[in-house]
Formats: sequence, structure tokens, C-alpha cells
Amino acid sequence: MTVGRGAATWGQRLVALTWKELLQLWRDVPLLLFLIYSFSLSVLVSGAGITMQLTNAELLVHDEDQSPSSRELIHRFQPPYFALVGAISDPREGLRQLDEGRAMVVLDIPPRFHEALMSGERTTIQLLVDTTNAPQGLSAAAYTVRIAASFGTETALASAGLSGAKASMPLVSSAHRVWFNPTQDERWFQSISHLLRMITLFAVLLPAAALVREKERGTVEQLLVSPVSPFQIMFSKVLAMSGVILLATALALYGVLHPVFHVPMKGSAALFFLLTALHVFTTAGFGLVAATLAKNQAQVAMMALFVVGPMLLLSGITSPFESMPQWVQAIMTLSPLRYYIDITYGVMLKGAGLDLLWKPVGAMLLLGGTLFGSGMWRFRRQFQ
Amino acid sequence: MALKEWKETTRDRLFLLLAFLLPALWLVVFGYGLNLDVEDIPFAVLDRDQSEFSREYLQRFIQSRYFSFRGYAHDERTLDRLLTETKIRAAIIVPERFQEQLIAGEAATVQTLLDGTFPLHTDIAKGYVIAINQAFTEDRLIDFFRRSRGLTQEQAGVLVRPLSVEVRYLYNEEVRSTWSMVPALVMFTLMLASPLLTALGVVREKETGSIYNIYSSTVSRAEFLTGKLLPYILISLVNVCVLWLMAVGLFQVPFKGYFLLFFFAAVLFVCCTTGIGLLISLLVQTQMAALIITMVVAMIPTILFSGLLVPVASLTRGAKVQAHLFPAMYFTNIVRGSFLKGVGADVLWIDLLALAIFAAAMGGLTYHLFTKRPKT
Repeated sequence: MTVGRGAATWGQRLVALTWKELLQLWRDVPLLLFLIYSFSLSVLVSGAGITMQLTNAELLVHDEDQSPSSRELIHRFQPPYFALVGAISDPREGLRQLDEGRAMVVLDIPPRFHEALMSGERTTIQLLVDTTNAPQGLSAAAYTVRIAASFGTETALASAGLSGAKASMPLVSSAHRVWFNPTQDERWFQSISHLLRMITLFAVLLPAAALVREKERGTVEQLLVSPVSPFQIMFSKVLAMSGVILLATALALYGVLHPVFHVPMKGSAALFFLLTALHVFTTAGFGLVAATLAKNQAQVAMMALFVVGPMLLLSGITSPFESMPQWVQAIMTLSPLRYYIDITYGVMLKGAGLDLLWKPVGAMLLLGGTLFGSGMWRFRRQFQ
Repeated sequence: MALKEWKETTRDRLFLLLAFLLPALWLVVFGYGLNLDVEDIPFAVLDRDQSEFSREYLQRFIQSRYFSFRGYAHDERTLDRLLTETKIRAAIIVPERFQEQLIAGEAATVQTLLDGTFPLHTDIAKGYVIAINQAFTEDRLIDFFRRSRGLTQEQAGVLVRPLSVEVRYLYNEEVRSTWSMVPALVMFTLMLASPLLTALGVVREKETGSIYNIYSSTVSRAEFLTGKLLPYILISLVNVCVLWLMAVGLFQVPFKGYFLLFFFAAVLFVCCTTGIGLLISLLVQTQMAALIITMVVAMIPTILFSGLLVPVASLTRGAKVQAHLFPAMYFTNIVRGSFLKGVGADVLWIDLLALAIFAAAMGGLTYHLFTKRPKT
């Protein structure tokens, strides 16, 4: 009986504390408005606005041949990859425009280009690429080489009178099937990854800031002498903030991702929300550990930056995880976001269930438990 | 005023340590860790032909540094499962009779399955597949022409590939990811740390109520604001020098431009970013709100819209407008221009002007907003 009643009051206190946190957040109107903005409009803008694939690379052409072949070649540089911004007659003009950042690629076609192609000689076109952004520069060069190779082979075979006989040559064609996002709609990827960024950012900051605020004002001592355990104090904060973040996630999912970008939910939505809750808990663990180390909010901010920055940039949403150095991959096994990325894309786009995802889920559980435990341990030790 | 704020900031040892250490540490972590080159794409193979040609074809993928071989599969179902579990990102299926068809001079098709969840990586991976496939095809064609037409290796080579491209990479001649990332990361770290420090400093006064002492004192608005900003600007400028030294010394990024110009731009930029921090701190009441809003305002547009990862030219119109509203984009131009391109004020004056306008606007706005406070 007493155990039952004890559990009931324990639960009641937890609920009361959680409610208090929610009220406190509710009164902070700028923060609340900002939360809503972050999960709606901001997801919309970055989902629709960003493409990391080569798009509209500004192309300048210096055509010294002005022949049918050179025009045909230029014609193959098409949007969305390239945007022809003009023709120039002086190579120095090209360099100047590259300097000013008004062009990214300058294509130089030599005189006698057409003639050489027709008579079966080898000829070379030159390409100047601005590589201040290395991956984009490489990508532009790769596309150009691809365009030139297919153009060259086609023209040469045509001039050798072989164009109609393609089937009777040992050509290997490469057929691609893209899975999980067949049209390679980058808006799916960008909107989902923006949502992941927001969830992670708020999951670290909200509970940590709430806990440190109590420490700073000294209200935490009042709480500690009241009949609530340290666990309840910490857990209620995480509970309140997780609820808020889950609501905001639902807003982003059913307000933006689904209706605007038509992002599918191939797996179970319930599973997705459950695992999102797990991610928020685990990530909040980081924030709580930071909060026990810090004395005031400015310190928490710095420490949170220290954790969140690398987490957002190195977990694999902005750059491919497989190609990162080994030591980074090793450190990032500590990042819950790293597992959450696999989980989210797995559930939403690949339709995976727990049978396939048990590994990342297990890793996250382990990580979350450890973080929470050590946060609790530190918190308790500080006040006893 | 500045002295007081300085004392208050320096008293908090941990905070001060983090304020100087954080930017430097970030530069190290990101500079080494943020590798944007797509390499080591994990892939598996289903070889239905098991012939000399199919092995040679696959060997080209296995040896490529862009791909990382994860084993042979025996049926398509295994490949499905590996893709869904994200064990592999690509799968190559060589059909039966691959060698037979090629020797008979017929066309053959190799099937490639790609994971499309990360469209950029998919696109790059597709490019690699096409390039390797192209090289294999060219070799087969050269072989074919030698046998069927009695051409020499060289003649057949010209026939198959008459046009070559000579690519010259400008500014970043070895096309190193770090060279393009590190200068931009200097901008990124400044953009995050400075407004945060400022915002927290002001809101701290508001929350503890000590700001009322200022309201009732004889300190003028301008004195208060500059006094608040000065220490943070100083900290940030020290950081600018440290980051510059690290970029040049540690990462060996060439600095081809003019240091004075770069430093002047950095001063303007730091004024902008601390101004943002101040503005936010005037609008909100709690440190929690200041912290979160500053982080989101500073971090997200800077990652996405500054040209750090994505060139501004390839953004859609809405995102482009947002890019032009933040100072980060202009400073990225200046940083990359000064480090890699070695251009001077004649090219960068527009960006400098934009930064100056932004800084002035921030100053005016905060000055204007601050007047209203004591009345309410």
C-alpha cells in the first residue's frame, strides 16, 4: 500500500514539476515564437532553398573557333548544372571575372577545333575553374570532362561513319537505379536534415539552460530542501522540454515536410516519434552534464556550443560520414545525432523497422543511460 | 564602462578561457574533420558473369580510392538488405553473358543501385561510376577497333577519344578541401562566438536587475552601448589574430592578399556580429532566450547561406535574399578573396561597403531601441 502511495506522490510531484517547467517556458514569449519559427518557416526556407549539388555554376565561354562543333559543345552545358553568363573575346577578361567571383568556370575553345575533330586529330579544350570552394570546383570539372568525353566520342564516330552502328560495338552502358529518393529530390534531404539540426540544437539547450537558471538564481537549493529528489528535478525538465520538442517536430512534419515537400513516411510514424523522444533524451543528457559543470548561463552557452557545433557538422548531415578521417568517426560514436540520422532516414525514407535498426537504437540507449547517470551523479554530489 | 564590463568578463575564469579556447579548438576540429570530398563510398557487388571481363570491370571499382569494397553478394535480396541497413551506399550488378556480349561486339548494360537519401553524395557517386564505366568502355572500344579495323593502339585511341579537357584549377591549385574550408571557418567561428558573448553579457545585467543602476546613473546611452561592446570586440579581435595565425601556420593555407585589408574587414565584421548580439539582448528578457535565439540566428544561416558549404549562386531566390541580409556572406567573400585569390580593395569594396552599412545599421538600431527601455 505505502509503496503504491509513495509511487503515486512521486509521480504527482514529477508531473507538478514538469508543469512548472512548461509554464515557465510558456511565459517566455520571444523564445516560444522563436521555437515555432524554427520548426516551421525556417525548415521551409532551407528545404526549398538549398541545393548542394552543382547548380547554376556561372560559365563564361571564350570561343576562338565559332564553328558548328564549338557551338554544339557549348550548347551541351545546360542548366541546372551550368548557367551561361556570357561570351568573351579576351582571356584576361575571363580571369578578371573569376577574381571578382562573377564567374566560376571559363571554357576556352581553341581555333581549328571543328577542323581537327572532322579530320580525326586529337584536340584539347581548356577549362579554368575557381576552386575556392573545392568540392564545387571538382564537381564542375567532372561534369565538363563527362560532357566533353561523350561529345568527342559521338562526333568522332559520326565522322567515321559509325554512328548508326552503336549496337554492334562493345559499349558498356551504366544503368542507375536510385533508391529511397528516386528523383533525387534534394528538398527531401535538406528539409529532413534541417529538422534534425533543430531538434538537436533545442534538445541540448532547453533543459541545460533551465537547470542552470535554477542554479544561478539559487532556486535549486529551495528545490533540494523540498521533498523532491534530484532525479525528479532533472527528469522533469527533460520531460517538459522533450514534450515541447516532440510537438514542434510534429508541427514541422505535418505542417511543412508532408504537405509542402511530399516527404514520405514509409515506416511507422509512431516508431519515428518514439525514437525521436529517445534522441531528445540522450542529447539532453549532454546538456545536463554541461549544466552540472557550469556556474552560470554564459558558461553553459559556451559548453553547449562546444558540443553542438561538432555534433551538427561532423555527424554526417553536412558531409559524408564514410569519408571522414578515422579519428573523427571514432569520436562521433559518442554523438547521438550520428545514430539518429540513420534512424530517421531509415524509418522515413527506407521504411525500416526495429528489426533493422536495433543497432543504432541500442547504441543510443546505452549512450543516453550513461550520460543521464553521470549527470545525476554529478548533480547529487554537488549538493550533498 | 568598458573597464567595468572587462572586469566582469574576466572575473569569470571558465567563461574567459572558453571565449579564447573555443574558436581555436573549433578551427582544429573542423579544419581536420570536415572533409567534404566524397571518398570511400561503401559498396557491394553481385557478379553474375564470373568472367575475366567482369572481374576486370569490378577491379576498377575495388581499386578506386573513391569506393570502399565491402564484399560479394550472392543475390539481389542481400543487396536490398544491405542498402536498407545503410551498410552500403552503392551496389553493382554485372549481368550474365557480360564477357560473351562484349567479345561479340555487342552492347552490355551494368546495373548500379544507389542510395538516394543524400542526393549530393548520390550525384557525386554517380559521377564516379560513369567515369570508371567510361574508361572501361574506351578500353574495350580501342581493343575492338584494333582487331576489326587493324588500327594501331594510338590511332584507335584518337578515334575513341578525340577530345581531351585540360583543367586548370585556380586559387586552390591542389584543390584541397581544407584550403577552402579553413578561411571560411575563420568566419564561422567569429560569427558564432562574438554575438553570443555580447548577448549573454547584457541580458545578465537585465536579469539580475543591475541594469537599473545604469538607467538611473549619468552614463549616456552611447557610453553604455560602446562600453558593453568594446570588451567583446577586443576579445574577438584577439581571436581574429589567433585564427589567422593558425590558418597560415597550422593548416598552411596560403595568404595571398593584404593583411591590413583583411584585418579592417574583420573589425567591421566583428562590429556587425557583436551588434547582432546586442540587438537580441535588448529584445529578450531571459538569458535562456538570448542564448537560444543567438545560437539559432547565428548558426543556421551561417552554415547554410554564407557560402561556407553552398555557393550563394546556387541558392534559390528566397534563400539568396536571406543570404544577402546577413553579414556572413560578405565576410566569406573577403576571407576567401584575401586568403586564396589575393585580390584587394578594388574587387572587394562592395563587400566592405555592405559590412560597413550593416555595422552602422546595427549601431543605429540598438541606439534607437535602447532609448525606449527606461521609459517602460
